[in-house]
Amino acid sequence: MHMTNKIMLMTLLMGTLLSACTNDPLRDLSIEDSQVFITNRNKSVDFRQYATFSIVDSVLILGNQGYGTSLSEIDVTILTRVIAKMQELGYQYVSASNNPDVGINVAQIRNSYLNVAPMNPYWGNYWGGGWGGWGGGWGPGMGYGPGYFTYYQTNEAYWYLEMIDFKNSNVENQELDVVWNAQIRGSGIGSTQQMGRIVDAVFEQSSYLKIN
Amino acid sequence: MKYAKLWILVLLFSGAARAQDATNIYSMPSPFDRYSHYLATGRVTAAIPIGTFADQYIDKTSLENYSLSVEWIFQGALSAGGEVGYAYFQTRLPRQVYQLDGQDVSAVQTRTLTQYPIQGFVNYHLAGRSAIVRPYVHLSAGGSFVDYSLFYGNLADQQQKFQFAYGAGLGSKFLFKKDGSLGADLRVKYSQTALNYDYVTKGISSINASFGLFYRWW
Repeated sequence: MHMTNKIMLMTLLMGTLLSACTNDPLRDLSIEDSQVFITNRNKSVDFRQYATFSIVDSVLILGNQGYGTSLSEIDVTILTRVIAKMQELGYQYVSASNNPDVGINVAQIRNSYLNVAPMNPYWGNYWGGGWGGWGGGWGPGMGYGPGYFTYYQTNEAYWYLEMIDFKNSNVENQELDVVWNAQIRGSGIGSTQQMGRIVDAVFEQSSYLKIN
Repeated sequence: MKYAKLWILVLLFSGAARAQDATNIYSMPSPFDRYSHYLATGRVTAAIPIGTFADQYIDKTSLENYSLSVEWIFQGALSAGGEVGYAYFQTRLPRQVYQLDGQDVSAVQTRTLTQYPIQGFVNYHLAGRSAIVRPYVHLSAGGSFVDYSLFYGNLADQQQKFQFAYGAGLGSKFLFKKDGSLGADLRVKYSQTALNYDYVTKGISSINASFGLFYRWW
């Protein structure tokens, strides 16, 4: 075999070998393990100053595809569970008209993005800096466009909970402070069966909310 | 009759002498000994993370490492060539709460690090080119496409860079038969790639034990 041919064959073999090595590190990740619970609080707030709470009567739907409210089975499940957990922590459940100290919002955030990224033909998006941060998963719209660009769609859907301070509200400026919030992300978060465990997990990692 | 016997003796001896000449022709050094030649090696590698990289990011040994090298075997003790490869580290941590930008993040972390090293190298051999066992000292330097992907659940934080990399090691080539074209290669190598991102503060360090098969030609 001619030398150039041999080298070409080897280069081809190496290319095949490298492309065969692409890994999916999450292929064996269970639904439960894929879930991420992010909580955030105002660290200057002492939650023991609050005693009563109210909650929205249906789940808010927010996102770039429109907004509204929803009260399907899963929404009832999450609202009921949040009420139970708040009561466990020592808060008294009152109606919104009874001047609660804090109010709880529960929302589903649904966003859909169409992204375009420059693409090096040999090294994928190696020079592009990647898709870091807290974005959602890759959508199904991955494909090669004309030239060296790739288009992909990301859809994100997650639960968002927040606690609003009504007790110390700034009436003059009509300002309300969010003293605690939580995001629930990952797979399986649209399943009613998963809801109880998920809500419990969020409150368990927020032990500072306990007032009793 | 006497002359005839003598003649036969002469013939016999000259035959033996001719046979000896023929042996000398075939015992000439092989072309691999006489000329500089080429050698290609495919390797599979067990990589053991060490140092700060193992302490802070991934400490799990990886068997998912492959490489291909082509080298020029010079007349003396030296050879030089290039090596491209693929190396992958991964580990998974049970659910924990992490502090990120003042937030509490409860997640199962999947930590991965992928490399596509492209390096030049020099081998200094400690035995002759026809030796069945030919140990060598190995030095390499070049770059590596590094992909740092840290997953919180199924959310990713990713960093990709082309980074400086170098290595040093000891190895040996083992010919399957004298003057043959095929052989095995064993090598133990320390390798270091520069990287300073997130959990990886002092680069990627590992000890790599590899088994390879080589083919040589001229």
